[in-house]
Amino acid sequence: MIDLTLLDLALVYGLVLLAAALVRLRGGEIRGLLIAALRMGLQLFAVGYLLHLIFALESAAPVLLVLLLMGGMAVHTVAGRIKEKMPHFYKVVGSAMLVGCGGGTIYFCVLVIGPDPWYDPRYLIPLSGMIIGNAMTGASLAAERLAQEIRARRDEVETALCLGATARQASLPAVRSALNAALIPSVNAMAAMGIVFLPGMMTGQILSGTEPMIAVKYQIAIMCVITGSVAVTSVLILQQGYRSYFSRYDQLQLPEKAE
Amino acid sequence: MLQTDSEKEAIPLLQVENLSQQHQGVTVLRQVSLLAQRGQLTVITGPSGGGKSTLLRLLNRLDEPSAGRVLLEEVDTRSLPPMQLRCRVAMMLQRPTMFAGSVLENLQSSYRLRREPLPTADSAEIQRILTLCGIDNELLPRAADRLSIGQQQRVSLARALLTAPQILLLDEPTSALDRPSADRLGDLLKRLCHELGLTVMMVSHDLRLAERIADQLLFLCAGEIVERGGAEILRQPVSEQLRQFLADPQLHRSQEAQP
Repeated sequence: MIDLTLLDLALVYGLVLLAAALVRLRGGEIRGLLIAALRMGLQLFAVGYLLHLIFALESAAPVLLVLLLMGGMAVHTVAGRIKEKMPHFYKVVGSAMLVGCGGGTIYFCVLVIGPDPWYDPRYLIPLSGMIIGNAMTGASLAAERLAQEIRARRDEVETALCLGATARQASLPAVRSALNAALIPSVNAMAAMGIVFLPGMMTGQILSGTEPMIAVKYQIAIMCVITGSVAVTSVLILQQGYRSYFSRYDQLQLPEKAE
Repeated sequence: MLQTDSEKEAIPLLQVENLSQQHQGVTVLRQVSLLAQRGQLTVITGPSGGGKSTLLRLLNRLDEPSAGRVLLEEVDTRSLPPMQLRCRVAMMLQRPTMFAGSVLENLQSSYRLRREPLPTADSAEIQRILTLCGIDNELLPRAADRLSIGQQQRVSLARALLTAPQILLLDEPTSALDRPSADRLGDLLKRLCHELGLTVMMVSHDLRLAERIADQLLFLCAGEIVERGGAEILRQPVSEQLRQFLADPQLHRSQEAQP
C-alpha cells in the first residue's frame, strides 16, 4: 500500500482549510470545525501509535486491556447520550455490553475466524471495535426508548396491573417496542448494504489489497455478528431495565422527570 | 377457623385504618379511615387535589401508603400478592385505556394474563357480561381503540368485571360522559351492588348522580374526610368546607354535563 507522507497529509488538511474558508465567507462559525479537524489528527495518531505498540508486544494482556477500555468508553458514551437513566444504570448496561459484545467477539474472532495466535490484534481490535460501536448505539436506543415507552404507556401499564398483570406482563409492549427500535439501525444497514453505500470495512480491506470476494465475505460476517451482539446486549438491558421502573410490589414508579 | 355465613356478613368487606400518604414532603392524605360493606356503593367527592384518586390507588396497592393499613375481609392487603389483590379489588382508571386488538381480545386480557383458557365470544361468561354492561355483540371483533369513549368505558368496565372482583374502584367514571350516559352507568353500578353484591367505591364530582345512587358519601377535602354519611349530607352540610364546595358549581357538576 502506498504510504502517505506528512506533506501528503498537509495537502489534504488544505481541504479542511478550504471548507473553513467557505464557511467563513458565508459568515459561519469555523472554530468547531477547526478544533474537530485538529482533534481527529491528534486522536488518530495517538491510537495509531498505541496499536503499533500493541502489535509489537505480541501478547494477549494488552490486547484484552484495549478491548476492556473500548467497552468502558462505550458504556460512558451511552450514559452521556441518555437523558433519563434507569436505576443501576452502569451495572445494567455494563454487564449487558460485556456479555453481548464479549460473546460476539469471542464467537466470531476466536471460534469462527480462528487466527493464530487467538488474540491476534489485527483481527480482534478492529472487529470487536465495530461490534462494541454498534452495540453501543443499540444499547442507547433500547434504554432511551424503554424510558419513553413506559412513560407514554403509563395508563396502559397501570390498566394491565389493575387486571392482575405482573410488572413483566404489564411492561411487555414497551419492552418489545424498545427492542425493535434497538435493532432498526442494524436491519436498515443490512438491507441497504452494497446498494446505497459500500461499507467501510469492506472498502478498507479492498484498499489495503484484499481480494474483493474475501472482503465481501468478511463484511457479511461482521454484519451478522453485529446484529446478534446488538440483540443480545439490548435484550439483557431491557430484561433488567423494565424491572427498575417497578417497586417490589409491582407498582409503577416513574422517576421524576429531570428538567 | 370456620365462619358461618352470618358471621362473615358482619365483617366489613373493606376496612381502611389511618391511611396517610406523603408525596415529596407534601401530605396528600391524612389519617383516613373508612369502612365499606358488601353490596355497598360509596361515592367519594370533594375538590380537585383533595386526595380522592390517591386514596383509590392505595386500596388496590397501585401505590404504597406512607402509614396506615387496608384490610380486606380482615386480612391486611400487604400480606396478599399484589396480583391477587388487584383481581379482588379491580380498578378502572380515569381514562379508559384499551389494549391493542379487538374488543373480545380486551375482554379476554385478564384470562390471558393468568394463562387461563380464553373464553370465546359465545361463551356464557362473555355473553353474560355483554348483557350486563350493555355492549352490543357486533362490537366484539371491532378494534377496541376505535370505539367512542362511552363504549370504551363499558368495555373497560366489562374487562374489569371479568376478573370477578369483590370490590370495584372507579376514578371519575362519568367525567367524559353526557348526562344520559352518566345516569345509565350510575344505574348499572347500583344494580351491580344490589343484585350481585359487588362493592363499589367511586370518585366523582357529579353530585346529582352521587345523591341518586350513593349508599355512603365521603367528602374528602385537603386529604381528610371532612364529612361522611348518606345523601343527606349534601342537603344539610355541617362543615364550612362542604358548604363552600356545594356553593361553587365550578367545583362540581350537579346539573349540566361538562364539555
